Amino acid sequence: MNIVGIDIGGTFTDLVGYVDGKIVTSKTSTVPADPTQGIARSLELANCDPNELNEILHGSTIAINTVLERKGARTALITTSGFRDVYAIGRSNRIQAFNLFFKRPQPLVPRSLTFEIPERILASGEVLEALDETTVTAVIAEIEAAGAESVAVCLMHSWANPDHERRVGDMLRKALPNIFVTLSHEILREYREYERSSTTALNAFVGPRVEGYLKRLETYLRSGAFDGKIHIMRSNGGVMSIGQAQEQPVSMMESGPVAGMIGAGRLAKMLGLKRCIGFDMGGTTAKSSLITDGAPAIETGYVIGEEADGQPMQLPVVNIVEVGAGGGSIAWVDNAGGLHVGPQSVGADPGPACYGKGADLPVVTDADLILGRINPQRFLNGGMPLDKAASEQAMLSKVGNTLKLNPVEAALGVAKIADSSMSLSVRAVSINKGIDPRDTAMIAFGGAGPLHAIAIAREIYIPLVIIPKLPGTFSALGMLMASWRQDFVQTFIGRIGELSEAGVEKVYAELVATGREQMKRDGIAENEADHRFFADLRYVGQEHAISIPIENTGMLSGDTSEVRKRFDTEHDRRYSQSAPTEALEIVSLRLVLTAARTDNVAEEWLSRPWEPEAEAEVGSRDVVFNDAAKPLKTAIYWRPALPAGFRLTGPAVIEEPNSTILIHPGDEVVVHEAGHLLVTLAKQSEE
Amino acid sequence: MTPMKNDPITVEVVRNAIVAYADEMAEALCKSAYNMMIYEVRDYCCGLIDTTGRMISQNRGGLPIFLADLGIAVEDGIKKYGLQGFEEGDVLVMNHGHICGQHLNNVVVYAPCFHDGELIGFAANRAHWVDIGGGRQGFGSNATTDIFSEGLQMRSLKIYKAGELNDTLYQIIQDNIRYPDASLGDLRAQVASCQIGAKRYAELVARYGRGVVESCVETIWDQTDKAARQVIERIPDGTYSAESFLDNDGRDLATPLRIAVKVIVSGSTITVDFHGMHPQVNGPLNSGRSGGIAAARVAFKALTSPELDVNEGCFRALNVDLPDGTILSARPPAALGQWSIALPTVIDTILKALAPAVPELIPAAHKGDMGGCSFFGFYEDGSRFLLMNIFGGGWGGRPHEDGESAAVSVCQGDVRNTPVELQEIKYPFIVERHALRPDSGGAGEHRGGLGIELTYRCLRACRGNINFDRTVTPPWGLHGGHTGEVSVAIIDRADGTQQRVNKATDVHFAPGDRITFLTAGGGGYGDPRKRSRTDLDEDIANGLVSREAAVRDYGYAEPQMPRRIAVNG
Repeated sequence: MNIVGIDIGGTFTDLVGYVDGKIVTSKTSTVPADPTQGIARSLELANCDPNELNEILHGSTIAINTVLERKGARTALITTSGFRDVYAIGRSNRIQAFNLFFKRPQPLVPRSLTFEIPERILASGEVLEALDETTVTAVIAEIEAAGAESVAVCLMHSWANPDHERRVGDMLRKALPNIFVTLSHEILREYREYERSSTTALNAFVGPRVEGYLKRLETYLRSGAFDGKIHIMRSNGGVMSIGQAQEQPVSMMESGPVAGMIGAGRLAKMLGLKRCIGFDMGGTTAKSSLITDGAPAIETGYVIGEEADGQPMQLPVVNIVEVGAGGGSIAWVDNAGGLHVGPQSVGADPGPACYGKGADLPVVTDADLILGRINPQRFLNGGMPLDKAASEQAMLSKVGNTLKLNPVEAALGVAKIADSSMSLSVRAVSINKGIDPRDTAMIAFGGAGPLHAIAIAREIYIPLVIIPKLPGTFSALGMLMASWRQDFVQTFIGRIGELSEAGVEKVYAELVATGREQMKRDGIAENEADHRFFADLRYVGQEHAISIPIENTGMLSGDTSEVRKRFDTEHDRRYSQSAPTEALEIVSLRLVLTAARTDNVAEEWLSRPWEPEAEAEVGSRDVVFNDAAKPLKTAIYWRPALPAGFRLTGPAVIEEPNSTILIHPGDEVVVHEAGHLLVTLAKQSEE
Repeated sequence: MTPMKNDPITVEVVRNAIVAYADEMAEALCKSAYNMMIYEVRDYCCGLIDTTGRMISQNRGGLPIFLADLGIAVEDGIKKYGLQGFEEGDVLVMNHGHICGQHLNNVVVYAPCFHDGELIGFAANRAHWVDIGGGRQGFGSNATTDIFSEGLQMRSLKIYKAGELNDTLYQIIQDNIRYPDASLGDLRAQVASCQIGAKRYAELVARYGRGVVESCVETIWDQTDKAARQVIERIPDGTYSAESFLDNDGRDLATPLRIAVKVIVSGSTITVDFHGMHPQVNGPLNSGRSGGIAAARVAFKALTSPELDVNEGCFRALNVDLPDGTILSARPPAALGQWSIALPTVIDTILKALAPAVPELIPAAHKGDMGGCSFFGFYEDGSRFLLMNIFGGGWGGRPHEDGESAAVSVCQGDVRNTPVELQEIKYPFIVERHALRPDSGGAGEHRGGLGIELTYRCLRACRGNINFDRTVTPPWGLHGGHTGEVSVAIIDRADGTQQRVNKATDVHFAPGDRITFLTAGGGGYGDPRKRSRTDLDEDIANGLVSREAAVRDYGYAEPQMPRRIAVNG
């Protein structure tokens, strides 16, 4: 079984593959103009012949960047009469509450390309007004005349009855066979017309470009003898066929970041960690996700872009909390003398001051260099020597002089503030969710993650940090472990205790049938598929619902005591209170359909006994930890040389080709039998 | 490591932590709440208060008019019980009209926070209960004339004493409000939220020590204050005045209410002088002093530090000169049911006063009202329903860009309208139209944003309240921009009759009746004849400005030659 995962990020294209029993990796610059070329180069660098592969998994930022850069297709939107502006009005909220110059989301479809058609369906699914096909025909002609490349259709209450949407879709596809058509009910069958419109419009907007990209990729890969599967990473933490990705590109928005969390989940399971936090620190942001029983939490709905004016997307996404602090985050002092780090960051070019390309803004990586934590000769596997004097100069001129701190003091402050701010993302997925960090562990990866993870863990009392093998390209590795996954939802409202068996069965059967259709298209056999159902529940009168797993429909229509108990318990865990005597209602029924990979080569590699790959190499240098005036003489280790079972006590720096691990004084490291580093933090007094 | 007192790093850690705790309180409250005033309108605020009633931190994303004003509620409890009068497990409820100055629906819940047996502060929140008893229901009634007819007042009462529920108080609440399940559910969420906040703050103090945390908080307040003063110092000293009018108090429809403000800028301080405000009225369109203070604070904050967190330090450079007995400082027993109605206009007027001094910082006027509707009635089975919705309108044109359309008022931040599909699932109405209102934005070089149109058809008999304002003083333009279109509601009866209203209480609706809300547009900024023809062509193509209005207001002529025409300025 030969497989590769390729993760195209904004700066780098990472590849991790399992070929002929060995792990291969490569890291190369992304080629924004032609990502296919970047893929070709990364395969070449890793000595991978596509013709020898059985499967390629791929994650890409193309969909999300198309939205952020607003470079999608010329898109039209068809709505129910009277509701042309639902998409523009949105929820009318102003997140930047005190800003008189606030921004709201700008629709991806102009009003002049938004068309109304007479028809109306009610919340019950009843047809109040029949579809006026004459108008539909006229609208189709206008859409064609306007030169639209893509059409989104979102009609009122189509979640309850999609007949009208289907008919409009048929007419569109027949009249304009080359146009990209997205029908809202095919993306999600859930109430809330603005969020559904936005999700549908997003799919339509990115559709033609992503479809074109994936077709080129497929053509390139298929040009030789490669006849394996091509899978695309989706935001929900699973993969889909490249064919489905061309129809539903909106579901690959968070393609990249989630894969690392999937990998962290598998590692957690292997290590027997019931609960842990995946922590991924890159150049511009730090991301955290809570992992329970080997899987990251998945939530429905988030915003693409900035919270205030981004585009809402109402699909399941791995719950990742991101804060604007990474290796490239800029340190700055406000007019009142407050020291801050981020959220602004320098790009890869000219990059941090230490890159020596003339930049004069001090960033977190400069601070790490000044503190002796990074080896200037070994950055990016020795590919880019760093200029410490430039870092010191920038730190002094932008931070130190104003606050009367020397460069080392300023750098220590910057590192601490970055750690504190990143710890908030960890806090958001743990303490804020009612999880005590003292009962968890952290799995840290990403280029800069292992350098800061331990300080962050200490900040919120996480006792154990795990640095996996290949932390620098861990996201690409994660792709090799992702299951095929489909999420289906059907809004279905009623009181628990009053639901009829037939009613529940009908919704259940519809969800299963939709899932089966997709399984058939992707060649998934019945016995490979795992069906899991969830009921979105709330107390009558509440708005926000909580998804509760159910094993059979009888739990909703028969004896409901178990579902009741599960909901009360979960409500209490999340919000510190529950109301076991109050009536419950269901809002939606969800089906999560997965098919696990038939191979487990990547997992097997994660647990494979570790053999050192290099000669032992130990040195030392001065590194600043907590006291700027007193650097500690610190042992430097080369990770590829450390054998399983090897132990060391901090202070120490462990270097490896694409990452650096900082071990604080008193912390104890042991090399796991499979090569992962387990770092047990020194006990801290809680005063 | 022992953190040095006030070292910048510890300060930053404390700064992040105290706001994160308030946010965590808000998350727990919002997600488990039972009424849309909390979970959609976000009519709440959460925060930490010190032992003298000062605001340590406040959550982000709550209602903007709740600006560091939880302290007065807590202070009242401190006066009543003394600092020795609190014990662990106490939770207090407070909505007293005269002390809090807001309508009684806004219930403050707070809990003392202890470390090693020592009282170190309070965690508090305020949330809008869907009902608090009294003579009227739904928001927007103009029928009350004193505070006693507006519901139950609770003045710093312990609903929990040392963890023990006060059954008597609980039952008084339960038996005297409509929708007790919803409000008591909200109370439960408020209590849990306070307990979370108190616990977190105690953890922080346990970690760094009380002295260090409090000294960091002082530093944060000082920094916030300094940032605000730096902005004020750039405004030329002087006394700036402006005046506008609210239509009426909803009872005497012929008498407009005067909103007159003087803004005195002197060095690094701003004084807002409210001596010209209309005297308090008989109806509920009054607030206590906190209303006037809130209005001044919103304007001040928008001007000086919109991006900074809210705390006690934000407003040290602001003086509010507010005599008693005005509609912003009503004496008891004034009715306060509509306490917030005047605030958007007051804020707009304060900003207008400063427009000549800092034209780059002040947009034209926005729609200027709180923009909501409420309908109430009974289902077939006799149970009650109460539909509430909030809608946006146009914001004023800005120095360099058009105003935003369909956005909630300056008094509302992350407040959301209710999805039409949700309304139709829950309530006996069909929404026939939810659209932008073309030609409602005031003409200008930078056009005012558009209001909205929203049409309900009633399926069951019900009643409703309508509360629009600012037709006497429409959303004004600045520097040559035109006014925005004013709000109006149109009732189309099933029998074919039509009625236009701005303010009405307890309007009866029969099945088949329709009501359309048309919300105001924002004022324009700058001379409309200077508007870029490309932008105007786009407005016309998008149907936001009609061809007739373009010709009338913008001097638009059909493009004869190329589409892009050079524009003056």
